[in-house]
Amino acid sequence: MGALTDKYCIVGVGETPHMRPSNRTTLSMACEAVRKALADAGLEARDVDGMTSYSIGDSTTSPHVATALGMRLNYAVDIFGGGSSGEALVANAIGLIEAGYCKTMVIFRSMNGRSGRRMGGQTPGGPIPVALAEGDGQFNIGWGWTTPAQRFGMSAMRYLRDTGCTTRAFAEIAVAHRYHASLNPKARHRSPITIEDHQRSRWIVKPLRLLDCCQETDVSVAIIVTSRERAYDLRHPPVFIMGGYARTLTDSPQWNYSREELHYVAGNYGWKRAFGMAGITHKDVDFVSCYDAFTFTTLIQLEANAFCGKGEAGEFVKGGRLRIDRELPSNLSGGHLSEGYTHGVQMVIENVRQLRHRADDACPGWAEGRHSYDRAAGCRQLKQADICCGMGWGWENMASCLILRGMAA
Amino acid sequence: MPGPIDYSKLRILPDYDTVEWWAGTKQRKYLVRQCNACGHKWFPPIFPACARCTSMDIGWFETAGRGVLHSYVVVVQPIVGAFIGAVPYVVAIIELDDCKEADGSVTRVAGVMLNDEAEVAIGLPCAVEYEETSDAKIVMPRWRVSGTAANTWKFAE
Repeated sequence: MGALTDKYCIVGVGETPHMRPSNRTTLSMACEAVRKALADAGLEARDVDGMTSYSIGDSTTSPHVATALGMRLNYAVDIFGGGSSGEALVANAIGLIEAGYCKTMVIFRSMNGRSGRRMGGQTPGGPIPVALAEGDGQFNIGWGWTTPAQRFGMSAMRYLRDTGCTTRAFAEIAVAHRYHASLNPKARHRSPITIEDHQRSRWIVKPLRLLDCCQETDVSVAIIVTSRERAYDLRHPPVFIMGGYARTLTDSPQWNYSREELHYVAGNYGWKRAFGMAGITHKDVDFVSCYDAFTFTTLIQLEANAFCGKGEAGEFVKGGRLRIDRELPSNLSGGHLSEGYTHGVQMVIENVRQLRHRADDACPGWAEGRHSYDRAAGCRQLKQADICCGMGWGWENMASCLILRGMAA
Repeated sequence: MPGPIDYSKLRILPDYDTVEWWAGTKQRKYLVRQCNACGHKWFPPIFPACARCTSMDIGWFETAGRGVLHSYVVVVQPIVGAFIGAVPYVVAIIELDDCKEADGSVTRVAGVMLNDEAEVAIGLPCAVEYEETSDAKIVMPRWRVSGTAANTWKFAE
């Protein structure tokens, strides 16, 4: 096991509603998310002395949020990064606290992902009127190939060809995650869907349909990391950080499209580090989260992290296997596909709530950990939720992972 | 064939690392980067060092502009305004025939097909063609299916 396994905890989580549009600044949303995470942890602003965030140049910064909330920070650094950064910043927090740079650290992401800067460069009103193709963009914008759906679609297409599975496997992910969203009052899309609904939805970029794509939203999310000793005194049962890997890069010395297999996610060797650090096997994992920017990214993350064999995810997810109360529940909040898009952190938040046994569902006693487990009555809490594996994705070439456990494990 | 691309809504901005590549397409040459020290090839040319040996003594390899279609997407909803009149169009990744290396590495490039979806399949041979744009400095490479092949694969809805 890792030297720091279980020594650090996630003690607070918070988020703003998933809106489109928010009609707010990223600074205002970040302040709300951080305040909610503080309240959730039972901490005051003065108890936090470290803050970090990630963005793609579309957000506010830690010094702004700390100034707004009157926090005196010993450490404030904001990084450039997209998906898979949240899990990586948890790793940073552990190292910083261990080294004595700060004691308790907030990690946030704040983005007007629909009304502000959209992935792929689209304006809030639609297509880019005049596109400037510079840097990497010379070799994709100029080819009308910009959005994550268009870029990752190449992997999805090749995956279908290489594995022989069909888009009905993609549909399984959409259906399972939507079912979980139906149990989540915060989710944007809560009406359950069927495989056929997925198959009938309109094309965005073949092989991806509307129901293969996540929900762009305006939202801020925050989590708080501190040491085990401090965590015991706080409001909720601590959630222990067992292990992970952080923005692992592909083992190929080629840019994505020249890699041997376009769809082989960089976690393919990282998982051994994470599971080794945590001292667990896949059998110990009660539930997972996957970066479901698209349905098929879930499939290839399950393969890369060895929850199933290579090329076998289509068969693995068949028949609702990823649904709550089934073999390997995935994205219990509804994920990016149905709850809203946060660039990954909402998965960590939901995993923390599940591990505390305090999923914020329709059960009147959820805040005290009292759940009915009656899905028809809107209960989203897993019965058995001791260990969770959260998988983050930047793109095929970059992946993160965060293995967490609750008090019971 | 897909509709026209409105190049007046696209500004290609070559930089220090790519200006020679765009000069190449203007002369109807399809270039990839090549390491002068170890011979490794790569694309796109935004990378100024060899990922195999770290050398920054790099040059260009002029390819024949022929390859095999490795994967593709069909853009139905346009995002870049210049392509509104082109939908649905196929963007493809092409594995170049003359860039295979002894260690198994390959060089793949991407571009917009001149063929419609119905004519495109993984495994088909393709060849580059060049398209003038409204910017006299920029000539855009496009790709066209150039023959047939056994064992092709096509997306079935």
